[in-house]
Amino acid sequence: MSTPAAIQVEGLGKQYRLGTRAHDTFRDLLADRFESIVRRRGSRQPAKEAFWALRDVSFEIAAGHNVGFIGLNGAGKSTLLKLLARITKPTTGRARIAGRVGALLEVGTGFHAELTGRENTFLYGAILGMSKQEVRRKFEAIVDFAGIKDFIDTPVKRYSSGMYVRLAFSVASHLEPEILLLDEVLSVGDLPFQAKCIAFVKRLQQSNATILFVSHNMFSIKTMCKRVIYLNKGEIRYDGPTDGGIALYEGDCRLSTLPWTERRPDEWTVRVTEIAVTDESGRPKSVFDHGERMRVRLEYEVRQQLEALNFIVAFVRSDGVACCNYSTETDGVSIDPVADHGVIELVTPPLSLVSELYTIHVLVRKKGFQEALSAQIGATFHVRHELFDTHFGVFHERAEWSVGGPEAVVRAR
Amino acid sequence: MSETGGLERITPEVVEIDSRVFDLDLRSVWRYRELIYFLVWRVLKVRYKQSVLGAAYAIIQPVFAVAVFTIVFGRFAKIPSDNVAYAPFVFAAVVPWNYFAEALRGCSSGLVDDSDLVRKVYFPRLVIPLAMVMAPVVDFALSFLVLLGLLLLYGIAPGWPVLLVPLFMFQAMLLALSVGLWLGPINVRFRDIKHTLPFLIQIWMYASPVIFPVSIVPERWRFLYSLNPMVGVIEGFRWAVLGKASPDFRAMGLSALLVLLVLLAGLFYFRKMEQSFADII
Repeated sequence: MSTPAAIQVEGLGKQYRLGTRAHDTFRDLLADRFESIVRRRGSRQPAKEAFWALRDVSFEIAAGHNVGFIGLNGAGKSTLLKLLARITKPTTGRARIAGRVGALLEVGTGFHAELTGRENTFLYGAILGMSKQEVRRKFEAIVDFAGIKDFIDTPVKRYSSGMYVRLAFSVASHLEPEILLLDEVLSVGDLPFQAKCIAFVKRLQQSNATILFVSHNMFSIKTMCKRVIYLNKGEIRYDGPTDGGIALYEGDCRLSTLPWTERRPDEWTVRVTEIAVTDESGRPKSVFDHGERMRVRLEYEVRQQLEALNFIVAFVRSDGVACCNYSTETDGVSIDPVADHGVIELVTPPLSLVSELYTIHVLVRKKGFQEALSAQIGATFHVRHELFDTHFGVFHERAEWSVGGPEAVVRAR
Repeated sequence: MSETGGLERITPEVVEIDSRVFDLDLRSVWRYRELIYFLVWRVLKVRYKQSVLGAAYAIIQPVFAVAVFTIVFGRFAKIPSDNVAYAPFVFAAVVPWNYFAEALRGCSSGLVDDSDLVRKVYFPRLVIPLAMVMAPVVDFALSFLVLLGLLLLYGIAPGWPVLLVPLFMFQAMLLALSVGLWLGPINVRFRDIKHTLPFLIQIWMYASPVIFPVSIVPERWRFLYSLNPMVGVIEGFRWAVLGKASPDFRAMGLSALLVLLVLLAGLFYFRKMEQSFADII
């Protein structure tokens, strides 16, 4: 017999009605009802828009396997975890989960600012489903893991955000579940703590736990999961080996609209039709050495006569940090398209970003950083350097030093 | 896993999630009883931490209310008090009334106050109203002690019925829960409850025999009046501590039955609504 399934999901779907939240008071509801009665004979009001956050999703995960869930914001990843965690009920379908479930959808919800670290440890433990004895037994280990021994009797409102998150995650990580639902929580805290978290997940893996992991960070997905499920607009677009899923996802992301805009690419006044990343001489490239220059070529179409466009190319690190951006306006270049399409090229200064994965975002705005005319995601690229990584900050540049004092010797390299 | 802790106890081995199935599932509430304890504990801890006087409020508030009632309604308005001094007469009603009002308030607004939890963590949502009707029991106990002190001062010695005090409190608890299980989910959807509740509670107080005795209600209306469940609670409480006329147990039984029906329906309503709390809160 093959490994038993830890999770079986069949035709799971969740429908939200847009506008359900609109009636925050009873009066609004009455007003709305009244309006709909009055309007009945005239123009029919459009029916409340229903939208499927998740639609007909089926999969099976064998016990002890890790699966990464990827997709743009709003693709349904978090909704899926919420359904599996029983926070909300599905509209259609069913799921069967065999094993003790621990869900970490957000770290530290339930902490009370006025209570001390010790008190919150017990409270949060109970919220996550641990018994008092269990928390008591693991208390030392929890405080140790969080590294906040000296502050355990201080109200958490006096904690730094780092300490707060560390304590919360520490409590959560002592749940010892058989099935863990993780939503992006590993990207919190400083690096030594993140390393601890990864170690914790590794340990869980060794104990044959099943882990469902939602993240935007393709690096973590690659290191943690052999299989990914890629959700797109609430449906499964890919389910299989990690590399294939990530390639598909990154391909789909290319030239797609940035999630915060809530507009489709064809609704923009300006549409970027191609973003090509090459080296200085124009050869396509996706891995750059620190200090190398990059050429970004944008092709675009305009839908109406416009002038003084501001093209902005931004580099966003895989953890969401916007690292730098180049704008035609700040660099004194004026773009006044005469035809309905055009090409624009950017050659960056020598890249001083540290070793990581970056995504290119392209924005087009009106002069003076007014109204956005386009906001799209372009390609991703890596920067490579053997020493400089995020421990060294966002970027690294060579500085000039001067050394005083009689015995000082400055050797030029 | 080497060490399996409380989770084993709390989450069942197999969780079935199904869009079509509805069940009342009170067992899961029982499994989460420790969370009820911690939520009650949190209410008390936080209150005593944030205020200088802390626990003293449980005493100060009813004492001042009774002082004002005694002066205004006892002295000026000369409202009769069944041949008992007005202060102990009204105090014996303020103690259960305050408990009820606080329990109802907490029960109705608890879900919204903890909306972060509701949105991000699974637990049987019934845990919240249950914790909210239990937390004010502590205040009730403290103010009850003050009441006993006052009785001593007035030379009133309660008889054996005083042992039934917990019973009347329990009835007030069930009543608060039965109403709160309806108001809580409505509050999630329509925040109007937040504005409506204070005056609902106030009107309910004047509709209950807090500042006056049931004996001033005309005889022929008395039975109907006694269907207000708080009438039985307050009259029963007065009977237990002051040893005066016993309440109309017939009406009390009927209203208790009503409360139980509302409570049962409330449980189903709450469970039904609970499934969408996280989506609309």
